[in-house]
Amino acid sequence: MAFVLTETAAGYALLKASDKKIYKSSTLIEDLNSAEKVAEQFKIHRFEKFQSAASALAEANSIIEGKVSDNLKKLLEDVKNEKKATLIVSETKLGNSINKLGLNFSVVSDAASLDLHRAIKEFLPELLPGLDDAALKQMSLGLAHSIGRHKLKFSADKVDTMIVQAIALLDDLDKELNTYAMRCKEWYGWHFPELAKMVVDSVAYARIILTMGIRSNASETDLSEILPEELEEQVKNAAEVSMGTEITDIDLENIRALADQIVDFAAYREQLSNYLSSRMKAIAPNLTSLVGELVGARLIAHAGSLTSLAKAPASTIQILGAEKALFRALKTKHDTPKYGLLYHASLVGQASGKNKGKIARVLAAKAAVALRYDSLAEERDDSGDFGLSVRAKVESRLSALEGRDMRTTSKIVREQPKVDITEARAYNADADAPEVAAAADSDDESEAEEEEEVKPKKEKKDKKEKKEKKDKKRKREEDDEEEEVKPKKEKKEKKDKKEKKDKKEKKEKKEKKSKK
Amino acid sequence: MAFGAPRGGRGGSRGGFGGDRGGRGGSRGGFGGARGGRGGSRGGFGGDRGGRGGARGGARGGARGGARGGRGGARGGARGGAKVVIEPHRHAGVFIARGKEDLLVTRNTAPGESVYGEKRISIEEPSKEEGAPATKVEYRVWNPFRSKLAAGIMGGIDELGIAPGKKVLYLGAASGTSVSHVADVVGPEGLVYAVEFSHRPGRELIGMAKKRPNVIPIIDDARHPQKYRMLIGMVDCVFADVAQPDQARIIALNSHLFLKDQGTVVISIKANCIDSTVDAETVFAREVTKLRDERIKPLEQLTLEPYERDHCIVVGRYIRSGIKPKN
Repeated sequence: MAFVLTETAAGYALLKASDKKIYKSSTLIEDLNSAEKVAEQFKIHRFEKFQSAASALAEANSIIEGKVSDNLKKLLEDVKNEKKATLIVSETKLGNSINKLGLNFSVVSDAASLDLHRAIKEFLPELLPGLDDAALKQMSLGLAHSIGRHKLKFSADKVDTMIVQAIALLDDLDKELNTYAMRCKEWYGWHFPELAKMVVDSVAYARIILTMGIRSNASETDLSEILPEELEEQVKNAAEVSMGTEITDIDLENIRALADQIVDFAAYREQLSNYLSSRMKAIAPNLTSLVGELVGARLIAHAGSLTSLAKAPASTIQILGAEKALFRALKTKHDTPKYGLLYHASLVGQASGKNKGKIARVLAAKAAVALRYDSLAEERDDSGDFGLSVRAKVESRLSALEGRDMRTTSKIVREQPKVDITEARAYNADADAPEVAAAADSDDESEAEEEEEVKPKKEKKDKKEKKEKKDKKRKREEDDEEEEVKPKKEKKEKKDKKEKKDKKEKKEKKEKKSKK
Repeated sequence: MAFGAPRGGRGGSRGGFGGDRGGRGGSRGGFGGARGGRGGSRGGFGGDRGGRGGARGGARGGARGGARGGRGGARGGARGGAKVVIEPHRHAGVFIARGKEDLLVTRNTAPGESVYGEKRISIEEPSKEEGAPATKVEYRVWNPFRSKLAAGIMGGIDELGIAPGKKVLYLGAASGTSVSHVADVVGPEGLVYAVEFSHRPGRELIGMAKKRPNVIPIIDDARHPQKYRMLIGMVDCVFADVAQPDQARIIALNSHLFLKDQGTVVISIKANCIDSTVDAETVFAREVTKLRDERIKPLEQLTLEPYERDHCIVVGRYIRSGIKPKN
């Protein structure tokens, strides 16, 4: 006895073949090339109609996954009482599932029976009584629409679309904010041209406009909330002797409206960036702790979704974002790019010269591992510890690389990451307070926090220096906000970092001494 | 799609078609004056615009057009919808609208609506029965800059496989812009199975399919045709515009499962998506060999210049029993 299981949009059909060994025939194409021959060979044995659209959807989904649904099981059990029978199934996965049921079937689902299925598919309306072509078409139309709607509704990667949209909006906001700020400075600059030179930060600039208004008010306005003391003094002095033109109230009103927009936008941007980082920590904690939120989000956005990024090899991740350069290089047979979006990761930024490419490669490899953990792990903890441990490995590699190259880097830079790593490991093992975990992450933000801790100790030092530091720190934070994308600011950042590292060393020495 | 094949990218070139041709009868009066002004330069085109279809001799048309240029303005206003004439194309189901310039059009199966902002042309067709009022038939303009299939037809493709009453499996349906035209061509008796994997354009595809009962949308990966085997019967033609490095394999998988013996395979190949390091011709040749290995006998190969760069369309015939070796 040989049966053929055919799944249609209307229901399951079990066809009985008159020739038991039909699936072994080598001349299937000729045997089954006309409606008559097919109708002669196969007789409908059972036809299990889907009860409703909803049940059809459920059945279709289980077929897609290669599972045996209850209805199909019932159908097969009803048939099994006959002697050992052969069941020809079109897909291997479904065939295996049927085999596992332990029914009295020998399941055949090999490629050789393809022609048999093709023939049945072609002449299906002739085989099924009461189901003509039009009815079948109607059924599959309805089923296709409901499957499609179901797929879109329960889309697996809908959480990462949030990230994709958020990072895209963040970029848009930055662009917009920048143009608005430029326009604002240009506009208000006619009234008070000296201000733009003194106050670089555009949000602070906008807030000054909002609080001060016309520059003649400068002496009686309090800018201490916006500016550091010394700069406030400078601004007030400059306002007295400014060479800007006078503006009327209505002019100011309009400039104020623009300044308002800038402040609002900046606040919104801040909020959005918080949202993005919390989302990233929830969706890809290990990737985030390895490369940071922004770079991580950009990578996901570029690949389209977390799963498709996780499926990408490390070499692809390494140059994601540098497609133009890659294809140009491939065409002209030149060297392919060393990094794409990963360039902006802090670890790559720390490397110097040739090591940048090496670290980008190592980082990409580790990022691929972290990503797969994030995306595919069955039981994932959201702590990002795995990412941190991987990061430690990349950092030790970085220090090894930089250490060999004595001439270009100073001692401090070389030793810095090493110290960081040991700290991180020790504290993580203790699963101590969150502060420490933050300290382990050598991201700029956490460094800033550290700095704050350092400050009270150094209070004795003269105030001038402190003010300068404060100023710089604020600038750096702004830089961070505006992302590392702007190459102009990189130099400044590097300078800051060196100073910071000096400081850190001092702090550590102090601590060591006190421990002793 | 490691590097996101630039699918959406071809929308930009739409302008290549003269923006407003005043194709829709009713709104035409307003254009009259302006058209008269440029009439002279248009002489060579549009010989048959007067409404006498069919008799379009090259020389005659030219002469007439030239003469008409001067008084174009006055006439345009007076003779409402008689401006564009629809002629059947060599391929059944495809039409040519002869107006100011010749356009590829298909008969709209869902009248009154554009799918992607394309122009529509309404034509009054005299009814077959005496005395009954003329019926309005709507055609949609098929832009060869946006659809590779249209570009292929413009390029003079010999065999299409897509015709009224045929069943077509369309792989890489995207938002359903081209699919809607294919659905127009196959008509209510035919059927189009439109497969698209990406969810974002899939949304639009389903929206389009809602208005066309002869389109069955399938949101699934064309690499795994078994997943949608329940929905598909045997088809007469497989059209593929998937732009993937392994597209020959994808097409073969689908053909083996769903394409009738002696069915047509129409494939659009974008050389850059398969291998960007060698020149386009080599890529095309390689793809054709791959198809041959998969029992698809290549019939013709056609470049899509000037509509697309480094693209070609390959038409083949699926021979289930295998291609007999040469000699």
